[in-house]
Amino acid sequence: MYGYWGRLLEVDLESRTAKERSISQDVLYKFLGGRGFAVYLYTQYVPELNVDPLSPQNPIILATGPLTGTQTPTAGRATITMRSPLTGTIFTGNAGGIFGALMKFTGYDALVITGSSEQPVYLYVSDEGIEIKSAEDLWGKSTKEVTKLLKDRHSRASAVLTIGVGGERGVLFSSVLVDGERGFGRGGVGAVWGAKKLKAIVVKGRKKVTVADMERFKQVLYEADKSIKQSPLTSKALPSMGTSYTMDIAYNAGALPIKNFSQTEFEGLEKVDSKGLKEGPFIRATACWGCPIRCGRISRDSDGNIGEGPEYETMWALGPNLGIDDIFFITKMNHLCNEYGIDTISTGGVLAFAMEVTERGIRDYGLSFGKKDGLIKAIEEIAKREGKGEELALGTRRLAERIGGNVKEFAMNVKGLELPAYDPRGAKGMAVGYATSNRGGCHLHSGYTVSSELFGLPKRVDPLMSTGKATLAAKRQDDSAAEDSLIVCRFAGIAITMSMWSRLLSAVVGEKFTADDLSVAGERIHNLERLINLKLGFDRKDDTLPGRLLREGEGDRKIDLEPMLEEYYSFRGWDENGVPTKEKIIELGLEGLV
Amino acid sequence: MRKIENRVVEMFRKVGWAAYLAGLENSHSGNMSVRVGNRVLITRRGSMLGFLKEEDIVEIGLYEDDSGISLASSESGVHRAIYRGTDALAILHAHTINAVVLSLVYDEIIPIDVEGSYVTKRVPVLEFEFGSGSKEMEEVLPRYLKDYNIVMVKGHGAFSIGETLEEALFYCHSLENSSKIILGVASMGKDPMEYIPNTLKEW
Repeated sequence: MYGYWGRLLEVDLESRTAKERSISQDVLYKFLGGRGFAVYLYTQYVPELNVDPLSPQNPIILATGPLTGTQTPTAGRATITMRSPLTGTIFTGNAGGIFGALMKFTGYDALVITGSSEQPVYLYVSDEGIEIKSAEDLWGKSTKEVTKLLKDRHSRASAVLTIGVGGERGVLFSSVLVDGERGFGRGGVGAVWGAKKLKAIVVKGRKKVTVADMERFKQVLYEADKSIKQSPLTSKALPSMGTSYTMDIAYNAGALPIKNFSQTEFEGLEKVDSKGLKEGPFIRATACWGCPIRCGRISRDSDGNIGEGPEYETMWALGPNLGIDDIFFITKMNHLCNEYGIDTISTGGVLAFAMEVTERGIRDYGLSFGKKDGLIKAIEEIAKREGKGEELALGTRRLAERIGGNVKEFAMNVKGLELPAYDPRGAKGMAVGYATSNRGGCHLHSGYTVSSELFGLPKRVDPLMSTGKATLAAKRQDDSAAEDSLIVCRFAGIAITMSMWSRLLSAVVGEKFTADDLSVAGERIHNLERLINLKLGFDRKDDTLPGRLLREGEGDRKIDLEPMLEEYYSFRGWDENGVPTKEKIIELGLEGLV
Repeated sequence: MRKIENRVVEMFRKVGWAAYLAGLENSHSGNMSVRVGNRVLITRRGSMLGFLKEEDIVEIGLYEDDSGISLASSESGVHRAIYRGTDALAILHAHTINAVVLSLVYDEIIPIDVEGSYVTKRVPVLEFEFGSGSKEMEEVLPRYLKDYNIVMVKGHGAFSIGETLEEALFYCHSLENSSKIILGVASMGKDPMEYIPNTLKEW
C-alpha cells in the first residue's frame, strides 16, 4: 500500500501489552487518515460511544495521514482523538512539530492507547516495536524538562509528546506538548493522558514512506511550492510576523474581542500587535518539519526565558482578552502554560471570566482586567489545581454552573470550549461556525470564514452580511476536515487548493482522488462526528452561542443565529433538529457506524 | 419568500456593475446567483446586471420549484444543476465577448499570460445543440465544473463558480483578459499556441 502502512498499534496500559492490527484500504480511502480515520476508530473501540472521558475506556487515538512523512509541505503533523473531558464531545486536534513524521516512520498509521496504568508510564515507539517504561522519575516535571530528559535518554533525533503538571492533576483544559513547544492544545487531552498515568510518548522511526508516482508527485510539489511562494500570506506575512498580523486586522474590523468579549476598543493594541511582538520578545522564526512557511516564533519573555510563541490566539487570549498590553508578560504567561501543559486559549478564557465575575462583585478571584497582579499565581494554581485554581481548572462552562445565576451569559464558551480570538459580531460567519463546530468554540473547526471575511481568501465577502455565511461555513468545515485527515497545516491550505491536495494524494497513493472526493470525505467525517455527538446527548439546543454574543450587539453587529442555523442544516441535508437524515447517512456511507 | 438582506443586494449590485463596466455583459445579458443552504438567490429574468435593484434578486428552491421560478433567470435550471453537482456557492454567467470569439475557433482556451495561466488555467469549450438553458447543459456543465472553475459554452459565454460572487467574477474577468491577449498576439500575425506556458502544457 502506498502512502499508508495499513496497520496500527494497539496498546493496553492495564495489561501492558501491545498488538498490531491491519487496516483495510477501503477504510483508509474512505476516511483518508488523521482526523477522519481516528474518529472512525473511535466508533470501533467504543461502540457504545458514551464513555467517561477520564475513565480507562476512553481511548487515546493518535493517527497520521497518507501525506505524513512525504515531501508534501507541512506534512509532519499528527492528530489525537478522544472524548473530551472539557466538552463531552468527540474531540480531535492536530499539532505540528516533527512528531507526526517520526511516528509515521515507525511503520504505523495509528497508535490506539486503551486502559490505564496504576503507575506513571511512558511509551517508546520505534521501528523495532514498542516498550512501556516507567515514568516515575518524570511525574511532576514540566514539559520542557521531560522533553530534554527523554531526548537525552533515547535520542536527540526522537520526538517527544508529553503532558505537564496540568495533565497529571486533571485540569480539564490541559494539553499535550510536542517537544515542549507545539501543543495539542484544546479539549483537555492532557487530562485524559493524566487519568491513564501516561506521561509521555517518544517516537523514533526510520522507515521511509513510499510514493506511488514520484514523477507526478514532484511535478505537483513544484506547483505547490510555487503557490506558497506566490501567496503574500504564506510567503510574506506568516514568515515575517507569524500569525500575529491578525491582531490589528481583526481589531480594525471590530472582530477582536476585548476583555471577555465585552468591548471592541483597546488602547494598548499597538503594544501587542505584530509590531509589538517583532520589536519586543521576538528572536527568530522557526518551522515545523517539512514546512517552508516558518510561522513559528521563538521569543524571550519578561524573565529572560526563551521558548516558542506567542502566536495570535495566545497573544489575544492572554493579552487584550485580559486587558493586558505587556507583550513580554504575555510571552511569559505563554511559556508558563506550555511548561505546565495547559491550553493558552482556555486559560485566557477562564481568567477573563474570573476577572469579570470579580469586577461585578459576584465572587472574588483577586483578578481584574488590565492588572498583571495575581495572573502568574493564578496560572500556577490552575495547573496544580490549588486554591482558586481548583475551580478555574474546570473551565468556564462548569465554573459558571457552579457559581450559578446569570453568569453563564458571559461565560464565553460553546459546548464548554472557550472561544478563540474572533468576535463573531464583527465576522458573522464565525457565529454559525462556532455554534456548529463539532468540538465546540473553535476557530479551526468552525469553517474559519474570516479567511474570506477579513483576509479576502480567495476573494472578500462582506463580514457583516449573514445570508450565505452558514453555507460557506459548512463547506469550509468539510474542506478542513479533509485537510485534517490528510494531515496538512491550515496555513499551507491558504496557498494550496483542494485540487492540488487531491493531486498530491493521488500521486502518493497511486489512486485517483479529485477535489470533489476530498470534499465528500470531509463531509463524511464531519457528519460522523455529528452523529457521535448526537448519541452523546448534543443536539440543536447546543448549537448556540453565549448569551452575550446573542444579546449584546446593536445594528450591523447583531447576530440572528436561528436563520443561520436553518440555512446550515438545510445545506447539510439535516432535518430541522440538526440530525443528518437517513438519506444523507446512506449517501455518505455511514450507515451502521453509529 | 424572505426579505433579502441589504448587504446581499449590495453584493449583487457591485458584482453586476463590475461585470457590466468591464464589458463582460451587454445591457441585458448574463445572470448570477449564490447558494443559501438549500435555496438559491438568483437574478431576475431579463434584469440588467449593471443596474440591479432589490426586486431583481429572486429566491428559488434548489431542489423544488416554487413561485420564484416564474421570475428567475432562464438559466436557473443550469444554476441549480451546478449547485447540486458541485461544491459551488456562487455562479456567474457572462457573455465574455473575446472568449466567445475564441470559443468559435478553439476546443479549449489556454491562457498565455501569467495571470491567466495561474488563475483559470486551461478552460474547456463545450458545444451544445441548444447552448442556452438547456437540459443538455444541466447534465454536462456540473461534470466539468467539478474540475474547472470556469468553462465556456461555444458561441455563448462563460460559466464560472466560486465560494463567493466576487471569486466567480474574477474568473470571468481573468478569462476575458486572457482572451484579449490571445487575440492581440494573433492580430500581430503570431500563433498564440506557441506562447503556451510550460506549466499548462501538462496541466
